Amino acid sequence: MLFWIVAAVLTLCACLAVLLPAMRVRGRAVADADHDLEVYQDQLGELERDAARGVIDAVEAEQARAEIGRRIIKLAAERKQDGSAGSGRLGRIVATIAVLAVPVASWGIYAAIGSPNLPAQPLQARLEKNPADSSMQELVARAEGHLAANPEDGRGWEVLAPIYFRMGRYNDAVVAYRNAMRLQGVTAAREIGLGEAIAANAGGMITTEAQAAFERALEIEPDNAKARFLLATGFAQEGRTKEAEGMLRTMLDGLAADSPWRGAVGQALAQLGVEADPARPGPSADDMEAAALMSDNDRAQMIENMVAGLDQRLRDNPQDAEGWRRLVQSYVVLGRMEDAGDALKRGVEALGDEGEAAGDLVAFAAERGVVLEGQVEQ
Amino acid sequence: MIVETGHFALVLAFALSLVQFAVPLAGTRLGDQRLMAVAGPVAVAGFALTALSFAALTAAYVQSDFSVANVWENSHSLKPMLYKVTGVWGNHEGSMLLWVLILAFFGALVAWFGANLPATLRANVLSVQGLIGAAFFLFVLATSNPFARIDPAPMEGRDLNPILQDIGLAIHPPLLYLGYVGFSICFSFAVAALIEGRIDAAWARWVRPWTLAAWVFLTGGIAMGSYWAYYELGWGGWWFWDPVENASFLPWLSGTALLHSAIVMEKRSALKIWTLLLAILTFSLSLLGTFLVRSGVLTSVHAFATDPSRGLFILMILILFIGGSLALFALRASSLTQGGLFHPVSREGALVLNNLFLTTATATVLIGTLYPLLIEAVTGEKISVGAPFFNLTFIPLVMPLLLAVPFGPLMAWKRGDLYAVAQRLFAAFGGALLVVLLSFFFVDGIGVLAAFGIGVAAWLMLGAVTDLALKSGIGSVGAAVAWRRFVGLPRSVFGTALAHFGLGVTTLGIVAVTTLEVERIVTMRPGETMPIAGYTLRFEGIQPFQGPNFTEEQGRFVYFDAAGRERGAIMSSKRLYTARQMPTTEAGIATRGFSQLYVALGDPTSDGGVVVRVWWKPLVLLIWLGGVVMMAGGTMSLLDRRLRVGAPSARRSKDVLKPQVAAE
Repeated sequence: MLFWIVAAVLTLCACLAVLLPAMRVRGRAVADADHDLEVYQDQLGELERDAARGVIDAVEAEQARAEIGRRIIKLAAERKQDGSAGSGRLGRIVATIAVLAVPVASWGIYAAIGSPNLPAQPLQARLEKNPADSSMQELVARAEGHLAANPEDGRGWEVLAPIYFRMGRYNDAVVAYRNAMRLQGVTAAREIGLGEAIAANAGGMITTEAQAAFERALEIEPDNAKARFLLATGFAQEGRTKEAEGMLRTMLDGLAADSPWRGAVGQALAQLGVEADPARPGPSADDMEAAALMSDNDRAQMIENMVAGLDQRLRDNPQDAEGWRRLVQSYVVLGRMEDAGDALKRGVEALGDEGEAAGDLVAFAAERGVVLEGQVEQ
Repeated sequence: MIVETGHFALVLAFALSLVQFAVPLAGTRLGDQRLMAVAGPVAVAGFALTALSFAALTAAYVQSDFSVANVWENSHSLKPMLYKVTGVWGNHEGSMLLWVLILAFFGALVAWFGANLPATLRANVLSVQGLIGAAFFLFVLATSNPFARIDPAPMEGRDLNPILQDIGLAIHPPLLYLGYVGFSICFSFAVAALIEGRIDAAWARWVRPWTLAAWVFLTGGIAMGSYWAYYELGWGGWWFWDPVENASFLPWLSGTALLHSAIVMEKRSALKIWTLLLAILTFSLSLLGTFLVRSGVLTSVHAFATDPSRGLFILMILILFIGGSLALFALRASSLTQGGLFHPVSREGALVLNNLFLTTATATVLIGTLYPLLIEAVTGEKISVGAPFFNLTFIPLVMPLLLAVPFGPLMAWKRGDLYAVAQRLFAAFGGALLVVLLSFFFVDGIGVLAAFGIGVAAWLMLGAVTDLALKSGIGSVGAAVAWRRFVGLPRSVFGTALAHFGLGVTTLGIVAVTTLEVERIVTMRPGETMPIAGYTLRFEGIQPFQGPNFTEEQGRFVYFDAAGRERGAIMSSKRLYTARQMPTTEAGIATRGFSQLYVALGDPTSDGGVVVRVWWKPLVLLIWLGGVVMMAGGTMSLLDRRLRVGAPSARRSKDVLKPQVAAE
C-alpha cells in the first residue's frame, strides 16, 4: 500500500514539473540578438583588459575592436526580423497532452514490467525475522551463518545435514555429514546419511564411495536393514545381480514378519527377477570385475543413460515434484545448464505455475544457479 | 518497497524524458515561451527520479537483496562494503543505469546554469538531450533492466568478477562516463544550432566549458583505466591498443580537436561549421564506444553478459543519432554564416593544423579498431590489428603534432610570424637538444630514437614554460612587473601551458618505459636473490592468507639497493575468489621516485620454486601523472572568467540597445 502512495506522489511531482512552468505567465521574451550583444560587449571589455595588460599590441587591438564593431552592426539588422508571438491555443493543447502522458505512460509501462507486490528482501532482515515466519531456505541460511561462526558445532551439522538432503543440496549434505561424524563420532545412521547424499549427488547412482559408507555402517550395525538394502541396490545397479539377490534373500530371511522392509525387499527382488532372466546365465566373474573397475567414462555414460531415463519417465508421468528436482539436480551435476533450465520450465508447467510445489522447485533450482526463463528478462 | 520505488522512478524518468524531448521542441517550433520553459524543470525532475532509482539499486546492493536478479548475479553477502557499492555499476545493467544517471545529471546542469542562454537555444539543447535520454532509458527498460526480480529469492549471490573488486572500479567507470556523456551536451548544442539554423555569438563560449569538463573527465577516466589495467592484470602493460581502450581514446582525440577548434570559433567566429561537425563526431564516437563495449561485439572484462538483442538496440540508437545529426548537418550547414578570415600562418592556422593531425589520428585508430570487426563480419575470418599497426601509423602522425605544439600558443591571431616565434622558442629548443645529448651519454642502454623521444618530451615541457615566461614578459621587463603580469595572466593561458606540459610529461613516461624497461623471468626458491636495474630482489617465501571472500598465496620479496641497504618489501600474490572459483594475480609494486619495480607471481615449479616475473619500469608513473597535469590544465581553463557570459535581463537589454540603434 505504501508503495502505491509513494508511486502516486512521485507521479504527481513529475506532472507538476510539466504543468507549473507551462502555466506560468511569461514576460516579454529576451530576443536572441540581445544575448549576442551582451557577448560582444563582454568581448570588448576583455579586449580592453588585454590591451591594458600589454598582452596584445595596439594595432592588433584596434583590428579586433573593429571586427567586434562590425558584428554588432550586423545584429541590428537581425533584430528587426525577430519578434514572433506565442501561439496560445496550440501550446495549451500540447501542454495538456504532455501532462496527461506522464501518468499514462509511466503507470502503463510499470504495470507491464514491474513487480509491485514483491517486497524488498534485505538479507539481514530475512535472517533476523521470527523463525516461525521464515522459509526453509532462510532458516538454513541462518543456521549456516551460525556454523560459519562456530564451525566446531557438531550438533549443528548433524541437524543441518538431513535438511540439506531434503532441499536437494546433496553436496552440502555430504560435507555436513562428514563434519557431524568428525565432531560427534561415527554412527551407522550418519554413515547411511552420508552414503545416501553421495548417491543422490551422483544422480541416484550408488557409487563406490557411497557403497563404502554403507559398508562402514554395516560394520557398526550388521543388521541395519537400510544399509543392507541400499548396498544391494548398488550391486544391482552395477549389474552384480547375483550378489544383490543373495544379499536381499538373506535380508528377507532375517527380517521380522511385521518388518516394514519386507515389502520393499520383495519388490526389489521381483525387479531383479525380471531383469535377471533365469534363462540367461548370470554375469561371469569377469563381467563383475569389469563392472567394478568401470572407467569414469563408462560410469558417466551410465549416469547419462539413467538421467535420460528419468527425463523420459517425467515426460510420461509429470506429476512428480521429487522427480523434477532430481532431474534438475542431475543436469546441474552434468553441467548441462540449458537442459536444467528446460527441465525446470517443464517441471513448473507440469506442477502448475501457482502451486507450492512449483515454487519449491523454482527455489531449489535457483539455489543451483538455474533460473526460470523469462524470470530475469521481465 | 524500496526496490520497486526505484523501478517506478526509472519508468517515470523515461516518461519525463519523452516530455523533455517533445514539448520544448514544439515550443520552439510554435514560438511558445511557456512550452519552452517546460524543458528546465522537467530535466531537473528527470535527474531527481533517475538519482532516486540509482539510490534504490545501491540500497539493494548494500543490503544484499538477492530478490533483485542484478544483485544476485553480481554481489555476495561477504563482499566488502566498498565493492558492494561499486558493484552497482560493475555489471551491464547497473553501468547503463549510471550512464543514464550522468546523462540526466548533465541535462539538469544545463537547466541550472543555462539561465544565460537564449530561450530557444536552451529549449532545443534540452530537447535533444531529452531524446538521447529517452533512447537510453528505453534501452535500459527494454533490454537491460536492473530491477528484474527473482521470487523466491536465493540466499546467496554469485559474487562480482574478481578483477573488478578493486578501488579502480570506484573511479574509472564514473570518470569515463562523465567524459563520454559530457560530450552529449556539445552534441546537443550542435544539433540545437542546426535545428535553429543559427549559431549564436556565444555558442562557442557556452559549449567550451562542457567540452572542457567532458575532456577533463575523459582524460582522467582513460588514465585511471590504464593504471588499473597496469597493476591489476599482472602483465605490467599500460596500453594494449585493445579495441575497448581505443573506444575511449577515439572520443578523446576528436574531443581534443573540438576543444581547440572551439577556441578559434570563440575568438574569431571562424571554423563554425567544422566545430559543429567535430561536436557531432565526438559524441558519435562516444556512442560507438558504448556500442563496441556494451553490445558484446568484443570480448573483454568490459563486456559482461552478452546478448544480441542489446547490440541490435544500441546499433539502432547509433544509427538514429549519428545518421540523424549528420543528415541535419548536411541540410543546414550551408545556411550557417561564415566567420572571420585568417592567414594560414597564424594562431588559427596552427589550431587548424592541430585539428588536421588529430582527426587523421582519430581516423587511423578508428580504422584499426573497426577493420578486424568488419573483416570478421564479412568473411568470418579473425584477424588481429595490434600494436604494430598503431605504432606504424599513429606514432608518425603524432610526432609532427607534438613538435608543433609549442608554436601554437605563441602565434598571433589572424596573421602570425613563424620566424619570430621560432626565435622566441630558441631557448626551449636548445634545452631540448641538451637533454637529448645528456640522456644519450649518461643513460645506459639508450638508443638514438629513445634519446630523440626524450628530447621531444623536453621540448614540449620547455615550450609550455617558454609560453608562460614570454606572456608574463620575463626577460624584457623587471622582475616585479613580470610577477604582476604572471599572476594576472588569464587562467586559460595557464590551462594551455599546463595541458601542454602534461602532454610532455606523459610523452616522457611513455618513451622511458617503452625503450628502457627491463624484464626478467626467473624461477626462485625462498632465500634466492636476483639483480635487476641496480637493485637486488630476494624471495622470502610464500604464505597463505584468508581474505573476506578470497584465499590467497602471498609471495614476500625484499629488495636492496646497489649499496646493499634494504629498501622495502614487496608483496605479490595469487588469489582465488571462492564464490566464482576464479583466480587473479595481484602484482607487487614498489615505487622509487617515478619508477616502479613490478613483481608478478607465476606458477610453482616441481622443485619447490616459483616462476617470478619482474619488471623495472623507469618513469612509468609519469604516464599517468601527465594525465593528471592535463586534467589540472583543463580545470584551470574551465575556471577562466571569460567563460561566464552575463545574461541580459528583459528590462536592461532595451536600455543597452538604445545607443546602438541611435548610432546606426
